[in-house]
Amino acid sequence: MRYETVIGLEVHCELATDSKIFCSCSAHSYGAEPNTHVCPACCGMPGMLPIVNKRVVDYGMKAGLMLNCHINRVTTFDKKSYYYPDLPSAYQTTQWFAPVAVNGLVEIETSEGKKGIRIKQIHMEEDAGKLVHDIREDTTHVDFNRTSVPLIEIVSQPDLSSAEEVEAYLERLKALLRYARVAECEMAHGTMRCDVNLSVRPEGSDKLGVRTEMKNMNSIEAIKRAIEYETARHIDAIENGTEVLVQETRRWDDIKGKSYAMRSKETAGDYRYFPDPNVMPVVIDDEWFDSIQASLPEFPEVKREKYTTELGLSDYDAEQIAKSIALCECFEDAYSVCGNAKDAANWMISEVMSNLNARQMTYDMLTLDGKALGELISLVSGNKVGRANAKKILNAMFDDAAVVPSKYAEENGFIISNDTGLMDKVIKTMVEADPKAVADYKGGKEKAIMAIYGKCMKELRGNCDPQMLRTKLIEYINSL
Amino acid sequence: MDKDTLRRLELLNQLSLTEEQKSEMYSFFDRRENDLSELSSIDTENTERMVHVLPILTVVREDKIVQNFDRESLQAGAPETDEGYWCVPRVVE
Repeated sequence: MRYETVIGLEVHCELATDSKIFCSCSAHSYGAEPNTHVCPACCGMPGMLPIVNKRVVDYGMKAGLMLNCHINRVTTFDKKSYYYPDLPSAYQTTQWFAPVAVNGLVEIETSEGKKGIRIKQIHMEEDAGKLVHDIREDTTHVDFNRTSVPLIEIVSQPDLSSAEEVEAYLERLKALLRYARVAECEMAHGTMRCDVNLSVRPEGSDKLGVRTEMKNMNSIEAIKRAIEYETARHIDAIENGTEVLVQETRRWDDIKGKSYAMRSKETAGDYRYFPDPNVMPVVIDDEWFDSIQASLPEFPEVKREKYTTELGLSDYDAEQIAKSIALCECFEDAYSVCGNAKDAANWMISEVMSNLNARQMTYDMLTLDGKALGELISLVSGNKVGRANAKKILNAMFDDAAVVPSKYAEENGFIISNDTGLMDKVIKTMVEADPKAVADYKGGKEKAIMAIYGKCMKELRGNCDPQMLRTKLIEYINSL
Repeated sequence: MDKDTLRRLELLNQLSLTEEQKSEMYSFFDRRENDLSELSSIDTENTERMVHVLPILTVVREDKIVQNFDRESLQAGAPETDEGYWCVPRVVE
């Protein structure tokens, strides 16, 4: 018998806000001392009142609109009963009755073609703290720095049917949320986490099989491995009776390549959701909604299309730049100043990306002023600054956002002077110092001249028009 | 309210009730069930959901970091702390 896998995903993304969802503590405590980014509210002290961070709602809406969801104009928060020491109030404040976004659709593309994945809902909620079990044998140590860091949970319908589709779906979510700048979505950093709900049924059947939920996958590759393992386990249980499948939550062990039962799966009733009386309903009026809609970026595929058809970039160049909204914005600003899309793309792909890589920065971390880059590109194309010196200027621009290319070039003697008197003098000196190269050139080895050209350029500190130097050098040697 | 349901509620709420308390619970839930039955009989088909008892909406704050509390004062009343952590009985084997 042939089987099909039915998969639904619950994806948690940490929102890129400065402060937490219900209090003003910093949401960024990676590497910080334990319990240094906490207050009575996120420590669950009695009597503390949560106040919603407006930007969390902004980002929840943005995420919803990027995933083609309907935005609930009245969105409310609820308590989810949860007894575990990583949430000190014994409940999680989340959204159950009126989540910020519902009924979305995400289009993915795999080797099988295009497919729409329905989004059931996106809700905003607080993260839990961290438990440390290996400091002392008898005790669990609790760090509340991460408690109340804002999350969105994106719940898909069970529309996915393979590891390949899951990978495409997660990559699509990452691209869209990063474009909207609402979340970093980096699984390695824990800013994107994914639980997989999976069942197996005979191909063509409309009845769902026993569903298990898998947790603890830390990369897309681990998720793919977990799906393949779990699918095989379910089919083996159905066909060979190796075990009785039960609805449960399982923990994935990527080193052993196996999943293990954690606990019987809770149902919504077990969580005893009820409206949180401490958090007032949030009403999204037209003005607020419109401002969020107006702030949405173009989708990556729209950028790619525009770059190739309107600006004449190659598919490869357009693909590279459209990888990140930060690259797109920098490129577009640079192009608006220098007026040459191909030049701007070349600088982005070669120099800007190299600088980011050398500084171990992701593309999304780019804050370079695109208009200043455009000015730099114009200086090079107008033969006012040599390329080698322009790279030095770009490096300075990465180090200091206040660097103005033309001013920096002047202050550091990078402006091409085209002082022909000085050029003639340097050419004469360098030619006389290398008679062998001159003889080789005259003997037909055209490349021999490059050694002298390089020495001249170095002596002139790159401050000359390369073409003029080359022409004058050839003329001088020919005149000998 | 039957025995299994009450046992499940005990587990979910991390409680261990005495027989006397259980007996009180049966009677309590029976009374609440009658109340709920009465409420369920009301037609709310065309009634908008009441989202909050107070007429206060959209209480939000700007996304600004303010760190007003230090760890020592927050942990002053804790039964046990260690290296800046709160300590609780071990929750994994």
